[in-house]
Formats: sequence, structure tokens, C-alpha cells
Amino acid sequence: MLLVKPDFAEELAAHGSDTAMECFNCGTCAAICPLIYEHFPRRMLRYIQLGAKEKILEEPAELWRCLHCGLCTQTCPRGADPGEVILGLKRYVTANWRKS
Amino acid sequence: MGDDMKNEATGEKQRKVGVYICYCGGNISDHVYVEKVRESVEKMPLVSVARTNMFMCSDPGQEMIMEDLKSGAVDRVVVASCAPSLHQTTFRNAVKRAGFNPYIYEHANIREHVSWVHNGDSATEKAARLVSAAVAKANLLEPLEPIRVDAIAHAAVIGGGMAGMKAATDLADKGVKVTIIEKSPFLGGNVAKLDRLAPSNTKAADLLTSLATNVLANPLITVHSCSTVQSYEGYVGNFKLGIKKCPPDTGTDKDGCSRNVTSGMKTGAYIPFAGVLPDAPPSSEENITIDAGVIILATGFKPYTPRNGEYGYSDYPEVITLPELIQLMATGKNSGDRLVVNGREIRSMAMIHCVGSRHIPGIHTEDEAGNLNEYCSRTCCAATLNAANNIKEAHPGTSIYEFYRDIRTYGRGQEELYSRASKNKVVFIRFEADAGPEVTSKEAPGDYPLLVRAKDTLTFGEEVAVPVDLVVLATGMEPAAISDLVTMMKLPVGADRFLQEVHPKLRPVELPKAGIYLAGTCQAPMDTGEVSNAAGAAAAKAASLLGKGHVDLDPFVASVDADKCKGTGECVKACLVEGALGMADYETEDGEKKQIARVEPAMCTGCGACVAVCPDNAIDISGWTLEQYEAMVDWIVADIK
Repeated sequence: MLLVKPDFAEELAAHGSDTAMECFNCGTCAAICPLIYEHFPRRMLRYIQLGAKEKILEEPAELWRCLHCGLCTQTCPRGADPGEVILGLKRYVTANWRKS
Repeated sequence: MGDDMKNEATGEKQRKVGVYICYCGGNISDHVYVEKVRESVEKMPLVSVARTNMFMCSDPGQEMIMEDLKSGAVDRVVVASCAPSLHQTTFRNAVKRAGFNPYIYEHANIREHVSWVHNGDSATEKAARLVSAAVAKANLLEPLEPIRVDAIAHAAVIGGGMAGMKAATDLADKGVKVTIIEKSPFLGGNVAKLDRLAPSNTKAADLLTSLATNVLANPLITVHSCSTVQSYEGYVGNFKLGIKKCPPDTGTDKDGCSRNVTSGMKTGAYIPFAGVLPDAPPSSEENITIDAGVIILATGFKPYTPRNGEYGYSDYPEVITLPELIQLMATGKNSGDRLVVNGREIRSMAMIHCVGSRHIPGIHTEDEAGNLNEYCSRTCCAATLNAANNIKEAHPGTSIYEFYRDIRTYGRGQEELYSRASKNKVVFIRFEADAGPEVTSKEAPGDYPLLVRAKDTLTFGEEVAVPVDLVVLATGMEPAAISDLVTMMKLPVGADRFLQEVHPKLRPVELPKAGIYLAGTCQAPMDTGEVSNAAGAAAAKAASLLGKGHVDLDPFVASVDADKCKGTGECVKACLVEGALGMADYETEDGEKKQIARVEPAMCTGCGACVAVCPDNAIDISGWTLEQYEAMVDWIVADIK
């Protein structure tokens, strides 16, 4: 069970990314991503929307497989800027890694 | 019209039938050998002229028919072409323009009934049989006159909500007198229970105030509030409604409309969440009769009431419906960072879509009457998003989670509500119909009263749990409780239990019964703009009918042969339409008095049930007589070459 935490998006904004809530989960970014399968990067944006930070901290390696080619950001129909969101998540993970 | 010719051998009347067979530009001639059909029917002794044309409905085709009539070459006309629904009227009008009675015309359908469904020799043969049967019938056709009934220049509108008021003002603008019959003490119906309307965020109060002001100021409009229809009789142009006006009960009626009238309420002013009081409610019972040429049904809908325990409704006080939330927000305004409902600050809230709508057999359970609401209520998506936006924009500190199956923001300005909700950081959680969200007080973390859990298809089927202070159910629309009207007026009801129009695309506001129209949500879930469209269309239809002062009905109704009728009354027993057939006194030329059957032509539907039971063959349907049928059957089974 994934317990929703409403305040996570705001917490993340401090790390430079506040567009994840714009995502309407169409999956275009996941389809265009040339490197990573498994619904990446949409899955990360969805976790942000729900505030599922433990999910992000569980599997941070994927974030670093992203090369920031920018295709997802270019093709996103909602201006949710997935590339920038992933960059923000990298900063967040770096700041919070093994804190607890 | 040509003189009757007698066949010298038989002494029977002999008509000159003209047959006109259409190629339909290949639609018919690709599969039917049209010239062979012509040759075959040309041999019939009844046929004086048989011609073909590439498009009989074209001007040259029609002129060919008119010339033959004018020259006296023919006095009965058969056209063999497409379905009569398409061009029968075209050709009847051509006959009329040639100076003849339009009912000396008979139509044979050799496209839909032949060339589109058969091929080869059998197609040509079937076409020939159908055309010769039509010739046999045409030979026996007599000129008929349409049934003309006077229309009372007065419209009765049942229901005083958006639809009823809009239809009434449109009709009055055309100079038609209108009476609105409203069961509650108020004008405004269900819209009066709302605040801001999606997608434009217009105030319901403004809409209703402007409509009701026009209604009450217009001398052509009479409003009977606290009134119900008790009796109904008549036909197009001449309806009679019996109305009972009663002092109102207190409380809320079965459709959720307020009936509470307090002494402080001012007539003509808008009273929030009640409507506009047209006048003081009656203090004693009163019966009124209304004569009307047309009736507009604007009986509205009933908001869906969640069942006990549905998403925790009635189990937890924190679970309410969207209309309840709208009223609570309007009456208890606050300006804090977080929404306050019933004195409680809302940190986080869930809104659940499709409550009482889009039921699926086998997944959802029927109500006590065995009904499922399989339709989409259409207004709840936009209404929910509008409420969410209004909340987030006034109280950004309240988190909103929308649990939905599909977002259906179908109209102008509605998709923008969805985009705005995303901008406002509303989170959408999508559930499947068979795995709806579960509302529980167990496991709710911290001091949250409730936890809403659902398998979220946007999170790859993972179970998502949202702790909330409030759950709002986006309830849909159900048909209003008008079974008494449905029974009394024999109104057609669809599988969804809403009233059903004649044709969803071509005749969307008409009922099969002439002179009765549909306006608004009595027909299907609609938003207020769509209601105005429908009510305007119904008013336009009604005004154009009343504008002529009379109605011409098809003459294909029963007629009694007074000499043959022995007054057995069998036909009256068999008649399916109350008031269409009865017994009446009759005096023969010799002064003999007897009882015979009498037809009310405007009521008769021409079904023929009476013809089938008459032991003396004394009743027949004009234009479709037994004799004509027999002649057609003879030619259908005849040996033809």
C-alpha cells in the first residue's frame, strides 16, 4: 500500500522542480525515452504526484541512467518538463540519501 | 381528375395507372433489370403508361409524371424507387402540383427492399411483383383529404425549472400564451440547488433570476405553482389537462426539491437553494382545467442519492455528495488557506466520480426496483472539476484527490477545467469499475478520520491510500419520479428510464404523439446550456405548430360504413387508443335509428385492429383498405413473366 503524502511536491520544489503536478500520465515520455524502460520517467513523476518518496529513494539508480537527452521534455504535451523533474529528483536524492 | 372509366367486360371501375420506375443512378439498376420490370408491368391491363428515369426524383422525372397527369394519360400514379420515407412526400407533392389529389399516389420500394438486399434474376422478379402489387392498389385508391383539426393557441409546460421557464419565455416571445405547471412552490428546479455552474462558473442564481423575472413579468405566461397534473385527454391541438393545486407539504419532496415556504420569503425574489417564489402558495385545494394545443414536458431529473454505505455514505458524517458540498460552501464561506466544512478544516479531501452513473451489470448492484444506471450523467465531471478549482484557487492549502474512471469533459470550456485542475495541483487517481475506491475509518493515519484506498491504474495497479478529512461523491442524475404522468399520458420511456424522443438525431425533442414535446433533463442528463438548447427547440416546434392555427393530419384512419355497421361494438373493444373509437346514435335515410361505431379521426392511429375484428367488414382504414390489400396480395402471388 502506498500512503499518499500531499506535501512532497512542495518539498521537491526546493530542489528546483515544480512541474510534476502538470503531468496527466499519458506516457509519451516513457515511450520516447531511448534508454530506460519500465515507465521511466513517468513513474517518477507519478510518485511525486502521490508523494511516494520512499519509492523514489528505493530505486535511485535509474535516475542516474538518464542522460538528459531532452526528448521527454520536447514531446511532453503538458509542459511537465520530465527531464528537469528528473534533475530535481537527483538533487533531492543526493540531499536525502540514507538520511534515515 | 379524370372520369371514372368502366371496364366493359366486368363493369368495374377502370383506372389509368401510370408507373414510373427509377434507376437511382445505378443504386437500383445495378441489380434490378429496370427495363424488364417496365416491360412486365406494362402488360398489366390497368397500366396505361410505364416509364423509367435515371433519377425519378429529379425535376425532369417529376415533370414527366405531372405532364402525364395533366394530359389525361394517367389518373393514378405509382413510383418505384427508394423507401417511401425518403421521397413519398416528393412525389405526392408533384401529383398535387399537377392539380390532383396527392393520395392517388402509391409508392413501391425497390431499392431498400430489393436492389440493396438481392441480386440476379430474383431481384428483378421481386421488383416486378412489388410494382404490380402497387399498381393493383393504386387502381383502388380514392382521393382523400387530410384531417384538419383546430389548434388552441395555448401551450402547457409541465415543470418550472430551467427547461420549463426557457421554453415558456421563448413561446411567449412568439406571442403564444403559456401556462407553467410546477409541483413545488418555487420556480428553478434542481438548478436552484447549485451555486456556480460549470464550465463558465456562471451563478445559478443569476440565470434563474433573469429567467424567472421574464416569466413573471410576461402577461402571456401564467404560473401555477404547487400544482400537479391529475388528468389528461385529447389530441394535438386540443389537449385538456386537469390540474390540482394544493397547499405545499413541508420538507423535501421525493425529487429532493424544497417545499418549505416561510413567511419572510418575498414573491419574485431569488431564495438561495430554493428558487423563485412566483406567488404565495395556495391556502386551500383548487382544481383547474387547462385547454392547450401543445404540451411541453420539462419535468427534469432526480439527483442520485447514494445508497447506505455506498463509499461510506451515511456511515461516516465526513462523506457527502457534491450538491451537499456546494450548498455547505455557499452558506459557510471562509477565506482561510484551507477549506472549512461544517467547522472542520479540510487538509485533504477525496472526490469520487461516477457515483450512481455508468453502472455495469454484474459489477454494480441493482436498486430495490432492479434498475442500474448504465448511462453517463455527463454533468458531474465538469461540476466536480469546477468545484475542485474553486476550492484550490480560494484555499490552496487543501489537497484534492479525484478518484475517477474516465474524465469526460466533452463540451466547450470543459477540457480547460481539467487542465486548470492540474495547474491547481489536483491529483487524479484512476480506478477500474470492478475495483472502486474503498472508504474506511480504519487504518487512517494520525487524526485523519478517513482513508480512501484504490488500485490506481496510473500507478501500475498499486494500491494507493489517501488520508482525508472529507469525501465528496459526484452523484449523477436519475429520471424524475413521474410514473403517474408516464402512465396517464402513455409516454415512451427508454431503457435508461428517461423519456424517449421519436428519433435521437432527426426528431430529438418530439414524441410519437403529435403535439407533445420534450425539454431538458426529463429526456437525458444535460447541462444547463444543453437544457436551453432543447427547451428552445421544443418551443420552436410548438410555436410553428400553433402558428398555423390548425393541424393537418394524415387521412389514413379508420372510417365506418354506416350502412354495413350493425353496432356490435367489437371494434370499440379492440381499439388500442382510448377515445379513438366509440358508439354513437345514427339515423338512416329511411328514418331507422341505430347505434354505430364512430371514429374520432384525430385520435385514430390507423393501426387496423378494428378492421380485423369487425364481423361485417363495416370498418376500414382509408388509403389502406382490405380490398386494396387483397388486390396487392393477388398480384404478389400472381404468375408473372
